[in-house]
Amino acid sequence: MAAVGNFFRAVTYRGREGQIAWMLHRVTGIGVFVFLAGHIIDIFLMAFGPEVFNALLFFYHQFVFKLSIVFGLFPGALYHGLNGIRVIIVDFWPDLGKKQALLWRVQIGIFAVAYIPSAIIMIDKMFFGH
Amino acid sequence: MQFSPARPRPASNFELYSWFFMRISALVLIFLVGFHLFYMHVILGVDAIDFDVISGRWESPFWRLYDFFMLVFGWLHCGNGVRVILDDYIHHQGWRVIAKTALYVVIFVLLVLGSYIVFTFKPL
Repeated sequence: MAAVGNFFRAVTYRGREGQIAWMLHRVTGIGVFVFLAGHIIDIFLMAFGPEVFNALLFFYHQFVFKLSIVFGLFPGALYHGLNGIRVIIVDFWPDLGKKQALLWRVQIGIFAVAYIPSAIIMIDKMFFGH
Repeated sequence: MQFSPARPRPASNFELYSWFFMRISALVLIFLVGFHLFYMHVILGVDAIDFDVISGRWESPFWRLYDFFMLVFGWLHCGNGVRVILDDYIHHQGWRVIAKTALYVVIFVLLVLGSYIVFTFKPL
């Protein structure tokens, strides 16, 4: 029950940009950890030769997995990287902390500019075979 | 007037080095993972990647080293992040030891598996 209370406090705590940035950083970080664990194992399977490796690639070619790359892994890693740069900037120039909400909004703008065209190209390749 | 005692000095500098490692590895990963994701997903696309593509990539020592650095920095950065998260949410000492032991085993085993294949793979 403590977990439910903690979750309730987390979503009702009005931390605005800073809290959202921190939560997304955690969630995307855990997501990349889980993906990377699987990715290291699948690359290790290169040791068993082309038949085994290529046969197991069906996993990465599933519709659901492709969706999770375009809407999960790729934007997750991109967000985590951009947010990390912002955190490092504020770590070394603490005065910028006063403008942290603005910095985060700029960061989301950069994210959109990088992500939207990439997502369109990926969707086009994955689902329309171009 | 009462003063609260100064914050005790940490027993080791481990958390400081951990903080510093996250920043350094982050700066490296921005470039390594940034190019990796862009090239593999936007330029090539998942359907284009198979055994031959990776085998061809590992013909060159440059790409083996590239992948090795991405593995070491990326996986340890991930692992250290999860360690911090476990410390944040698991307060019971016993569960914390169990969870972190499991984490360290997973980090070690996958680091060995990944390094092994990057350095010993022989293209056909």
